[in-house]
Amino acid sequence: MSKRNKRISLPEAAALIKDGSSLTFSGFTIWRRPMALIYELIRQQRRDLHLIEVNGGPQTEFLVGAGCVAIWESCWVGHELYGKYGANVSRKVGTKELIVEDYSHAEMTFRMAAAAAGMPFAVSQSSLGTDIHNPQYDMLGRAGLRDGSAPRIAGSKYQFIEDPFYGSGQYVLSPAPKIDVAVLSVQMAGEEGTVRVQGQYYTDPEVARAAEITIAVAEEIVPEEYLRRNADINTIAGFEVDYIVECPWNAHPTGMFGRYDVDGDFLRDFYQRTRTQEGFDDWAREWVLGHDNLSYLEKLGWPRTMKLKANTALNYSTSVKRGQ
Amino acid sequence: MTMKMKEYAQPGEYNLADLLCCAAAREVADNEVVFAGTGLPMVAIMLAQKTHAPQLKLIFEAGTLDGRPPELPTSVGDARCEMGASRSSGLHDAFAIAQRGYVDLGFLGGAEVDQYGNVNTTVIGDYLNPDLRLTGSGGNPDINSFAARTVFIMVHEKRRFVENVSYITSPGWRVKKWPEGGWIHRRELYGAAYRGGPSAVISTLGVFRFDAQTGRIYLDTCHPGTTVEQIREQCQFELDTSRVAGETPPPTYEELHLIHEVLDPEQIFIPKVKKA
Repeated sequence: MSKRNKRISLPEAAALIKDGSSLTFSGFTIWRRPMALIYELIRQQRRDLHLIEVNGGPQTEFLVGAGCVAIWESCWVGHELYGKYGANVSRKVGTKELIVEDYSHAEMTFRMAAAAAGMPFAVSQSSLGTDIHNPQYDMLGRAGLRDGSAPRIAGSKYQFIEDPFYGSGQYVLSPAPKIDVAVLSVQMAGEEGTVRVQGQYYTDPEVARAAEITIAVAEEIVPEEYLRRNADINTIAGFEVDYIVECPWNAHPTGMFGRYDVDGDFLRDFYQRTRTQEGFDDWAREWVLGHDNLSYLEKLGWPRTMKLKANTALNYSTSVKRGQ
Repeated sequence: MTMKMKEYAQPGEYNLADLLCCAAAREVADNEVVFAGTGLPMVAIMLAQKTHAPQLKLIFEAGTLDGRPPELPTSVGDARCEMGASRSSGLHDAFAIAQRGYVDLGFLGGAEVDQYGNVNTTVIGDYLNPDLRLTGSGGNPDINSFAARTVFIMVHEKRRFVENVSYITSPGWRVKKWPEGGWIHRRELYGAAYRGGPSAVISTLGVFRFDAQTGRIYLDTCHPGTTVEQIREQCQFELDTSRVAGETPPPTYEELHLIHEVLDPEQIFIPKVKKA
C-alpha cells in the first residue's frame, strides 16, 4: 500500500468524495482549511454531504452556501475577526435546508479522538447542565435518522452515566463519528504520504486517523526521504494517508503557518456579500465556478499573494494589514 | 517610569474598550493558568502579563501552551500564537489539560446571560425554529465547565440580560440535569469535578459578580458615568444592587500605553481614542 503512487490531482481527489459522504477537514476556524478542494467540490456539484467538524469556518460556509451539505455536526462556525457568524449556515437552518447537530468543542475533539483510537464513544464531563444535552434538541433523532437505516449515524446523540468506578458524578457519552473522508491542508507531504504539519496541529492527527480515506493536500510534495531524516517532527505516518495532492496556496483564503496569512479582506467580502442566496450565487460565479486553481490564483494576483506571504523567520506575514 | 503612569486616566482619555480590557486584566492573578478566547480577552490577558501577572500561563484553545506572543494574534489558531510558547500542539491537549483541572481562569463572551450566569451563544429565539442562528458553542461551555473561574465580557442591552436565555450554551450556577431537565446547582451536578464557575460578568455598563451560596448575580461596580438605576433598567430580571462597591476603576496611563503602543498598535481589537 505504502509503495503505491498516492499522487492524484485536485479534481480526482474531489471525485473520491461521493454524494452523501461524511467528511471532515484539517485546520482550525480560519487556518489551514483545504479550500482548493472545497472549490472543486462546489464545481463538481457534490450533494447531501454530512460534515462532521471539530469546528467550522469558511469551508463550511462555502459548501453550505453552494447547497452541498445536508447535515452539519459541529460546534462553531464563523470567520473570527472577519465575519462574526456563519451567515449561510444561519440562513439554511432558518429555511430547514440544513440539519445542524450541536456538540461542544471539547466533545467534538474527544469524539474525534475516540474515532481515531477505534473506540465507540467519548466520555466527558464537559457542558453538563447545558441545552447541548437537551434530549429535545437531538436534531438527527428528530429527523428520523437515528433508527439504524443510516449506517454512519449513531443510535442516540448522548447517553448519561454515573461514574461506575469512582462515583465522581455524572458523565456524558457521545458517539465516535464515522468519517468517510478526511481532507487535510498541510505544508508538506512526502511521496509515501508522511505529513509534516508546522505550527499548531489542531486536530489533524485525530482527523487523519479517524477517516476511511485520508487525502493530504500539500503546499509541496517533498522526497519521502527528506521527511524521514527527522521523523521526530513529522505529524502523521505515511500509511495513514491514502492520497496526496500537490497544490500551492491550497488553503487560501485561510492561513497557513509558515506559508501565508489569512486573507481577511477576502473573508470579510465573502461574509458581507453572502447573507442572501443571490449574494452567495453571485460570489460563487465570481470566485469558484468557471475557475481552476491556477485561474483562481491569477485572479487573486501577485500583489495580494505577496502581501500574504509569511516571513520565514516569524512564520506569519509582516506586511498584511490586520487592524483598522 | 514616571509616577503619572500609575495614575488613572481621565474621562475622554480612554474609551469603553480600554475600560473593559483593563477591568478584565485585573481579574487575572499572577501564576494562574488562563484560557484565552479570540478578541479583547487576548489583549486583556497579555496586558495582565505585562503588568501585575508576569508569570501567568496562557493557553490558546487551538493548541498553544504557555504562549508569550510578541505580536497580537487575531485568533487562537493564528501562526502568531506559538512564538515563544512552551509547546505548540493541538486541541486534544488543550481540552484534556482543561478537563484535567489545570485551568484557573477563562475569558468568554455571550449574546445572552441570565441571573445565574447561564450564557447563550447558539441561537436567538426557539432552538427548533430560530430567529437567528449564531456561531454556536465553540469552547465556551468546555472552558466554563472546567475552569475554576470564568469571566464573561458582554455588550449590555436589556434584550441580552434576560430572565431565561433562549438556549443554555454555557453552564452557569443553576443548570439543568438531563435527561429530565430539572434545575440543579452545578456543585451537585459536577460532583468530584466541581471547581467553580462564572465569577464575573464585565458588561459595557458595569461589573457583576455571583453570590457564593446561591450563584445569583449582583452588581459590583458601575462604569464611570453610569448609574445603578440605568443598569437596573437594562436587566430583564430583578438585579441585586445591595452590595455595589462603587465605580469601576478606569485605566491607568501605563495600561493605555501598553494597550495602544505595545499590544494592539494595529487597532485590531481596541480602537484608539479619536482626538477631538
